[in-house]
Amino acid sequence: MIGQSLVLASEVPFPPSVEDFYLPSIVPWNAHDSYWFTKITALLWVSVAAIIIFFLVSYRKPQLVPTKKQWLAESIYGFVRNNIAVDMLGKRGVNFAPYLTTLFVFILVMNFWAIVPLAQISPNSHIAFPAILAVISYVMFIYIGMKHHGGLKYFKHALIPPAPWFILPLLIPIEFFSTFLVRPFSLAVRLFANMFAGHMLLLVFTLGGFAMLNANIWFAPFSLVSWVMTIALTFLEFLVICLQAYVFTVLTASYVQGALADEH
Amino acid sequence: MTGQEPPRKPSGNDDETPPDTGMGMTAVAYLISGMLVWGAIGWLVDHWVGTRGIFAGIGAVVGVGGGVYLIVRRLGA
Repeated sequence: MIGQSLVLASEVPFPPSVEDFYLPSIVPWNAHDSYWFTKITALLWVSVAAIIIFFLVSYRKPQLVPTKKQWLAESIYGFVRNNIAVDMLGKRGVNFAPYLTTLFVFILVMNFWAIVPLAQISPNSHIAFPAILAVISYVMFIYIGMKHHGGLKYFKHALIPPAPWFILPLLIPIEFFSTFLVRPFSLAVRLFANMFAGHMLLLVFTLGGFAMLNANIWFAPFSLVSWVMTIALTFLEFLVICLQAYVFTVLTASYVQGALADEH
Repeated sequence: MTGQEPPRKPSGNDDETPPDTGMGMTAVAYLISGMLVWGAIGWLVDHWVGTRGIFAGIGAVVGVGGGVYLIVRRLGA
């Protein structure tokens, strides 16, 4: 066991770097400069397929007394609709529940790959995926605001706070920056950074164990501690995964709520 | 949680304040944006005038003030 680990250890690069997020491609097999079909791509499509199939199958023949699968699907939808959409948007929240549920489930499943054995990297640890999701939320809340308030009146509503005229020049740049620049950026970066850091952390503790073993055989107990930490951190990752999916959904809902809000 | 019907009494309607998750983020965004925007403008003024950072400092403080004011107006009342 230790001999095997030592052989492994001599091949383990330490410390891990950003390069570790760019995995060799699957088609063509093992090419290092081709990014058209990698593990990340595969995980993305597996996630999409799994979500579609799961919800189609669970809702195919809905029973009055739900089956286990139907119960799970209804629980997920009910949770997002009642605890996020309706809670934050009132009655109109029901209209947004399908989108918010899709968003929540998609992010949850994509994040979850971070701790699935053998997969163990989340597509969301590449900023492209969170960025596109953030752009969708961004365009959506602006569009909804413009529809609700009528074209450019939305920007007047969003940018001009209820305040005396002489501090408006001070406040309008802050409003513009925080509403139209910080929001999409922070949405994307929050999700990306959490998944990136989580993967990095697991890499550091796993590879660190090998690196210590490689450096000196007497460090073996510390390697063991390092690997136990990996397992503990995997559970912490689970928490982060669920939390980030929830936070992204809640913030999207809260931006929509801001766009729909009337003067008070 | 499993119910198919929307809850009979939705805990929020349009008049009530939302749950605090979104509000906390908005408040933080206002504070940081205030500092960044007016700090950056102050920094530009510094470049223009040739001072070494006094306007950036003043800008950041004024910006935080604006941010706090916005939080009170938008989220407080």
